[in-house]
Amino acid sequence: MEDIFDTSLNLEETHLKEGFDDGYKDGLIAGKEEGRQVGLKLGFEAGEELGFYRGCVDVWKSVIRVDPTRFSDRVQKAIKQMSELIENYPVMNPEDESVQEIMDSLRLKFRGISASMGVKLDYNGYPKSFSGAKEIF
Amino acid sequence: MKSSLAEELYSESLKLSKRELDSSSSAENKVSDIQDSERDHSLHEDDYFWDGSDQKLEKSSDLDRDWQRRREQFHTIGYRDGIIAGKEATVQEGFNIGFQESVSVGYRWGIVRGVTSALAILPDALKEKLIDTEERRTEFKKLHESTRSLSTTDALKLFNDAVVAKKSTEKGESSEVSSHEGDHHQQRSEQKQLESYHEELQSLILKSPQIKIQSP
Repeated sequence: MEDIFDTSLNLEETHLKEGFDDGYKDGLIAGKEEGRQVGLKLGFEAGEELGFYRGCVDVWKSVIRVDPTRFSDRVQKAIKQMSELIENYPVMNPEDESVQEIMDSLRLKFRGISASMGVKLDYNGYPKSFSGAKEIF
Repeated sequence: MKSSLAEELYSESLKLSKRELDSSSSAENKVSDIQDSERDHSLHEDDYFWDGSDQKLEKSSDLDRDWQRRREQFHTIGYRDGIIAGKEATVQEGFNIGFQESVSVGYRWGIVRGVTSALAILPDALKEKLIDTEERRTEFKKLHESTRSLSTTDALKLFNDAVVAKKSTEKGESSEVSSHEGDHHQQRSEQKQLESYHEELQSLILKSPQIKIQSP
């Protein structure tokens, strides 16, 4: 009885271990694919928002070139800061801890700039819904 | 007495493993399906094992089956823990791969959104300074309208379709994709649609020297 009980415990451990190893192998594949799907979505969204700000900043910079007095010094400074923030965004390194901080600063500056221009310019994509946006000038 | 204790112990752990198995992936469910059908029996035969330990030689084939069931049962419990541990080990890596795969596509698409949106709200006098001809201003306006009509979710779907289509083409299974696509657009144009917005913007900007865009 003692021996059987011992054997039984050892076998249980062996079976647990075998199960674990099989599961681990499947998990490695499943985890990578699940992670990739989430990464595809979040990467696209982050890229879109960043590209949106880049596009706006580039247009504003072009405006400053053809009409240097159009924007106040304060707005011009903010545009320059946005430009730097975008350049410093670690696009290829989503694990970088500064990612969220930079995006938050960008959103704040963007709102500040569009407010001082007297326009309502919204980022139409994520996270806002497109239908909520109105453009007035 | 023994049997009710054993039943209680095992039913508890079986309930636990069943619940967790049900909530996880299909790979596990395959295992649990086999187990489900045998669970009720195995409970009783567990009792038999305990009671019949004094006649073990006669019951050797029952015991074999019993070991087999217990093997499967412990294998399943181990599998459940293993798949969680395996996923944890690779999910971040997968996330980074996906992120890097999509971020540039999203970025180029976002630039189209940004440039055309920022231009659209400029006063006409300023627009005329930046874009020389009425014709070109109209082209920018049209591009803005078509990008506006696409939400991020729509754009993401176009991108996903392109990823799936690319993968299938690599595997030589493009026919499978086209069968469930094509509600609004043809599959080929879907693949290129997001990129085509960016190409259109690039060509408009090339013709508008006052607007300078940093290359992505």
